[in-house]
Amino acid sequence: MRSIRTKPEAFAWAAALLAGGAIGCREQLATPIPAGHEPGASPRRGGTLHLAWLQDIRNLDPAGPSDGYALQAMHLLFAGLVDFDDQGRPVPELADHWDIADGGRTYRFTLRTGVRMHDGDELTADDVKRSAERALHPTTPDPNASYFKNIEGYDAFAAGRADHLTGIGVEGRYVLSFRLAEPDATFLPVLAMPTLRPVCKTAGDRYLDTWLPCGAGPFKLRPGDWQRGTRLRLVRHDEYFRPGRPYLDAVEWTCNMQVTAQRFRFEDGQLDILRDMTQADQLRFAADPRWKDLGSMETDRTVLGESMNTRMPPFDNIEVRRAVAAAIDRNHYKAIKPGYITVLTQLVPPGVPGFDPEVEGQRHDYRAALDHMRKAGYPYDPESGRGGWPETIVYPVYDQGLLVYTAQVLKQDLAKIGLRIELKLVSWPAFLALQQRPGGVAISQANWEMDYPDPSSLFDPLFTTESIGSESSFNTAFYTNARFDDLVARARREGNPDHRRALYREANDILCDEAPWAFAYAYHFYDVRQPYVRGFKPHAVWPMDVSAVWLDRAGGASNSPAGSGR
Amino acid sequence: MQAQARSRFLKNKAAVAGTAIVFALVAFASIGPALVSHDPLESDFVRGISADGAPVGPNAVFLLGTDRLFRDVLARLAYAGRLSLLICICATAIATGIGALVGIVAGWNEGGRARVPWPILAGLCAAGAALAAGRPRLAALGLVAGVAAAGARRFGGPRLDIDGWLMRSVDVLLAFPFLLLVMAIGAALDRSSAVTIFVTLGVTSWLGIARVLRAKTMQVRSLEYIVAARALGQSTMAILFSHVLPNVAGPLFVSATILAGQMIVADAVLSYLGVGIAPPTPTWGRMLFEGQDLYVGAPWLVAAPGVAILLAVWGFSMLGEGLRDALDPHQA
Repeated sequence: MRSIRTKPEAFAWAAALLAGGAIGCREQLATPIPAGHEPGASPRRGGTLHLAWLQDIRNLDPAGPSDGYALQAMHLLFAGLVDFDDQGRPVPELADHWDIADGGRTYRFTLRTGVRMHDGDELTADDVKRSAERALHPTTPDPNASYFKNIEGYDAFAAGRADHLTGIGVEGRYVLSFRLAEPDATFLPVLAMPTLRPVCKTAGDRYLDTWLPCGAGPFKLRPGDWQRGTRLRLVRHDEYFRPGRPYLDAVEWTCNMQVTAQRFRFEDGQLDILRDMTQADQLRFAADPRWKDLGSMETDRTVLGESMNTRMPPFDNIEVRRAVAAAIDRNHYKAIKPGYITVLTQLVPPGVPGFDPEVEGQRHDYRAALDHMRKAGYPYDPESGRGGWPETIVYPVYDQGLLVYTAQVLKQDLAKIGLRIELKLVSWPAFLALQQRPGGVAISQANWEMDYPDPSSLFDPLFTTESIGSESSFNTAFYTNARFDDLVARARREGNPDHRRALYREANDILCDEAPWAFAYAYHFYDVRQPYVRGFKPHAVWPMDVSAVWLDRAGGASNSPAGSGR
Repeated sequence: MQAQARSRFLKNKAAVAGTAIVFALVAFASIGPALVSHDPLESDFVRGISADGAPVGPNAVFLLGTDRLFRDVLARLAYAGRLSLLICICATAIATGIGALVGIVAGWNEGGRARVPWPILAGLCAAGAALAAGRPRLAALGLVAGVAAAGARRFGGPRLDIDGWLMRSVDVLLAFPFLLLVMAIGAALDRSSAVTIFVTLGVTSWLGIARVLRAKTMQVRSLEYIVAARALGQSTMAILFSHVLPNVAGPLFVSATILAGQMIVADAVLSYLGVGIAPPTPTWGRMLFEGQDLYVGAPWLVAAPGVAILLAVWGFSMLGEGLRDALDPHQA
């Protein structure tokens, strides 16, 4: 019998392929595909915008659980009474205007007339109330329902004791009011979130995950155009209430496309905007003079920090927490992914409402960190490596994305003050279970994506006593401070912007000093588009807002001037 | 090794090259970490980072450049080599031990029914159950009781077709995809230590060796000197250790050497898939994984561990095949 042999030639070929593959990789970027007209040309209608997602999306129902990718499409499918402008300020959308009465307890909205839903029906106040009750019904798996608990009658409705939400009153075909239990400065931005956006009558009164999403947004979904895990295509809603908009015939996403494939397709013109890319590619696009003006940073929406469980040793000792906050060199985090990270020394990132430049925040100060360890009773001698907290602290990480790298940098920084952490790889569900349970883990990296651009979107869920739960606690530090709770509650009710700012400044100072989190960084995306993609600019709230985009590809015959009757 | 076999081995250029590669890797892993001045776990945010924020390429300070956390790739490669070779050798030793035991016992008992130390087996089962329940003292007690009972009543109870049972078990285990099995065991255990990795790899990799050793044992047991030893009244254990084992040692050694190369790959695959040793401890597979999305701008991040894995597998494979050709020229 002839034996199977390993041929040395095979290995030589493998080595050559490996070397050749490494050397021959396409490092240079392709030339941008030119636009057909000079900048300043009038928008033209037509064409399909092609985009891609790294993953699949979970859901397109505004009342259901969502994700960052789905939000891109949901914003195009559903219009709200209120929307955010590109700076993140609430502006009327389906509402023509609103009045605030009763000292901030009643919001009365007058709807635009003649707004057509995707099924052709006209939008009325009854549709808004029905959609709200559907979203807030106890059988609906809406993760954002608690944002609306301030509406009168919410508790009884959410508990199933009432058939209707008494706080929403229909006062005419186009007029309805929201009555609140107490004044709430965050009500308008909360209302601008997708949750209560009106849905077609086909949605019925109750949430059903087989429903074909249907709203009043600039694009609509046709049956068969959402193939889960493969592609999603939205087509223009011809009866959209803004005349002449949108410009595009359709927007189409391909799901589950790897970053390298996305880059190559983008360079070949098969994708029109690129968002998911490697750090190396981001640096390359940002540095290339042909491409850098076509790239844009999105707003910092996600904040991340090292969450220290204030009920578990050694972080039940405030000096140890202060030591961690001072020991972390946040610029080391930034060095890992410079194009995507903004260093964070306080809870709210720069550029987001609520950021306070006068707050000194948490700064890297190695000597101060050592001093805090000494005050905590665990002095550490950097020369000999002796001292510090005597036990190894488990730090759970899930093996995906940036966390596994920032964790290794954190390990180095904390070792220098005598806190020895051991990284433990766990699955994502196990990570959440550990982090969100009171005795689960002493330290872990926590993150939070702002639902709306207001400080309350960060302060309330992350650090108030009310946010502590026994199983799924958003307050992962299990931090309690009565003064802090009082400050943020008052800030939520406060209508005067200056008074509100002062309340949040004091709350911010408390957090930075008591350090339930060592604030680390905020994360943003970077978009790069082909020159023929016009009208695109980053939005303060909506990721990849393409509602005003039009295509101007040189030689493209499909486009026609806007308003030409196409 | 006999003189003829040694001569055949030394004339085989591929075998000599394989041996040299393996020795070079062992030397690199053994003394490399001591020779490289950089700490494999420490980032250098000053010298290890280029002007545009990327890891620096190979230069005088960092001979193989730095990785995405600005750590010295050469230091990590050497440190990872030590760990990979340790895992490879230990896993191979475990797999070889289990495979040899199962193969020789099955081959020796082929075609007949043998007495079985039932009390020991019962003790083992009880110990396993107690361990699973987190009662190690009870497990030890069960094992001791089983051995004691076997000593009191030697090999009582019904006879068993040991070969059939063992080989059918091998068939069943072979039906499972190897990596799936390893990942399932790894997930069930605390997967963050080198010990759990090599134990997991070892206890799942012995099947091929068992089959080879069974066939070789069946061949050896019918030889005249074995028949003579049995006729002279030598005990089975004595025959197995004194006559059978030395005669199956050649194929066993060859199989183990080839398996060592496979263990390198298995360890790399586990690390690549994120079920290996937790970072920041470097392994070649983990280095490959961490470098993959930077390979366009920093090809050294994948080339360094890739070449190391390639050389290790190549070296062990050529060494194993050289040994086979030298020890068993008829098979070659």
